[in-house]
Amino acid sequence: MTGTDFLALSPIIALAVGASVLLLQIAFLRNLKLTTGITVVTFLACLFFLFYITKLNHQTTPLLLVDPLSTFFSIVFVLCACITTFISYEYLKNRPGRNDEFFLLVVLATMGSIVLTYATHLASFILGLELMGIALYGLIAYPHQDDMSLEAAIKYLVLSGASSAALLFGFALLYAITGSLFFPDLLSGLASPEVAVGPQSPFWARQLILLGSALILAGISFKLSLAPFHMWTPDVYEGSPAPITGFLATISKGAVFAATLRLYVIGEFHNFPTIVTGLTILSIISILVGNLLALRQENIKRLLAYSSIAHFGYLLIALIAAGTLTPNGISAIEPSAYYLAGYIFTTLIATGLIAAISSSNNEENANLSDIAGLFWKNPLLALCLSVSLLSLAGIPLTAGFIGKLYIFQMGVEAGAWLLLSILIIGSGIGIYYYLRLIFSMTTDPSSSRSTLAPALPVTVSLITLTILVLYLGIYPQPLMEYLLWNT
Amino acid sequence: MTLALFYIAGAIALAATGIALTRVNAIHALIYLVVSLLAVAFIFFLLGAPFAAVLEIVIYAGAIMVLFVFVIMMLNLGNRGTVVEQEMMNPSVWIIPSLLCLILLIELSLSIASLKSETNPIVVSAKEIGISLFGPYVLAVEIASMLLLAGLVAANHIGRRLSKMDQEKDEG
Amino acid sequence: MNPLIIPLSHVLMLAALLFTAGLLGLLIRRNVIFILMSLEVMLNAAALAFVGASAHWGQTDGQIILLLILTIAAAEVAVGLGLVLQIQRRFKTLDLDVVSRMRG
Repeated sequence: MTGTDFLALSPIIALAVGASVLLLQIAFLRNLKLTTGITVVTFLACLFFLFYITKLNHQTTPLLLVDPLSTFFSIVFVLCACITTFISYEYLKNRPGRNDEFFLLVVLATMGSIVLTYATHLASFILGLELMGIALYGLIAYPHQDDMSLEAAIKYLVLSGASSAALLFGFALLYAITGSLFFPDLLSGLASPEVAVGPQSPFWARQLILLGSALILAGISFKLSLAPFHMWTPDVYEGSPAPITGFLATISKGAVFAATLRLYVIGEFHNFPTIVTGLTILSIISILVGNLLALRQENIKRLLAYSSIAHFGYLLIALIAAGTLTPNGISAIEPSAYYLAGYIFTTLIATGLIAAISSSNNEENANLSDIAGLFWKNPLLALCLSVSLLSLAGIPLTAGFIGKLYIFQMGVEAGAWLLLSILIIGSGIGIYYYLRLIFSMTTDPSSSRSTLAPALPVTVSLITLTILVLYLGIYPQPLMEYLLWNT
Repeated sequence: MTLALFYIAGAIALAATGIALTRVNAIHALIYLVVSLLAVAFIFFLLGAPFAAVLEIVIYAGAIMVLFVFVIMMLNLGNRGTVVEQEMMNPSVWIIPSLLCLILLIELSLSIASLKSETNPIVVSAKEIGISLFGPYVLAVEIASMLLLAGLVAANHIGRRLSKMDQEKDEG
Repeated sequence: MNPLIIPLSHVLMLAALLFTAGLLGLLIRRNVIFILMSLEVMLNAAALAFVGASAHWGQTDGQIILLLILTIAAAEVAVGLGLVLQIQRRFKTLDLDVVSRMRG
């Protein structure tokens, strides 16, 4: 291990140190304020190191590759984790029971997401995925006196475990063909299986590669909750404590997508027609199912779950179109990274606000009626939620619009007309149910209960996120150029 | 010879898994699952991975299955104490797993006896695994420790009984 | 690559059969303990495939993945059984269909 290795690992080390300190602190002195403080300091230290290594491009052992794109993703995730910490404190401070371990698990889950983002080896890929997963089981079931959260946790555990097993089995088949677990070697071996298994059985090798890739695709689709592997999503989102719904919808999904993007580009999977066809089908079904089922939802968490299914359907278009634009598929990176960042900030505002409403009366309030009259209760936060919903719907001047435009433009260049028409239909349906939420905020103020006044850190972080979403929507060039330069 | 041993062990693994997952009684299922894991460990041994075989027995068949047994005991499902004990003495419960284990034992003795006579695959020793575990895979070990910490904290929190106050609130 | 006595394809076939058995168990059984067992069988099948492939290539990598799979399985089962305890306390049953109350 050289100095550069340690520098490249510094964000992960910061989180590991933070987790250890938290463990000791919880063992000796339970104090929610102190725990929150240590967590926030940990995340800030991690952010500091991440900003320090933005230009670094370094392979640290075969396991992790620190490059500017993954560092960008990590910055987004850690920023969101930091905001989740503020929201969680507000959510937990008046709840009975031991709430300190919550933050330890948040730190560990965030660490998993960074490891996953940097992974270039099966070992780090699966460890990152499972570190995030296991911490999330604990977080989802955290209020275990709540029936719904237990149900959500066991569903998530079983399905996530099964999809991990499928992923592992798929990778085992690919490993049998290529003899390497290091992604660049593993995936480049797939293009010419004859070399690996000898010329006598290339047919057998192709079948194995196909089966392996299909299992991996199914596993990843489960984690990204793409239809038809989406069944668990609404239940798990509804049953989780509100801050964790945000974590699941933003960081957890974002990290899996970032890792998938890297896998896709390294493996040049756009050259495999079967995979591209599979992705196209997943994308179309996800957009249609996500948007159509979101129409009938009365619960905002469930609505956001379906909306996230649809958004990851849109994101897949960038991967599908990439192959026809550039031979190495690198053009997928810039639009999908932009879209993903926009989606994560936007969704975090919505889930953060639900958490704030749920914190104010110690219940899980996520029904349409709970945000009724929000414009009178707290105009500022209502404005934030409106911006977030408009961005999710893809209305101009928001990050969501620019992201969708980006993907649309890619689709036009690649001539993927079927996908584009589905995208337009999906967005059209989307506008209806997002606007329905905004209208319900303006309904009769007399029906509403108490006023909503979350603590200052929560308000400030939600407003910061809103400004970020608007900034990315009005002035997108800096981030675009940054992403373009670093890919 | 090795091939024949592999097929028999594979058949035992499959049969035991199949029986395990179709049982009604969780403890009976666990016995078959342990047999299945022993068979898989034996296959690891045949494949020239003795260290993996030992780990499979110690951690999988040992630790993880015992964890299942503990939880089933804590839950006290179905009939209790003596009834369970009597039931376990019934030959129909233990005769098949014992038979399967006996076959595995014979297989193991045969393969150990033939260790020198046949050309065995290259055996990967524990030393080699240790070297690569603390060479290129050192970060995996570190991250795995964090994973276990997450598992520990999550399981400790979830498994905890609710405090008296909460329970009274629930019941009242 | 090293010439094995046991063909790689047969090891992979056995792993695939075990994986399928686990998957079937996961889909058919409704008792949470049996579902967790099925999950173990699936993970174990993946581990078998890795060890088989690593023996085929004469590498240690596959066996290290086995170690990691053991770690993951242990952590997952620990959390899963913790959930089982709570579910039994709360719902007085381990049937996943009874536990499942949310629609969808």
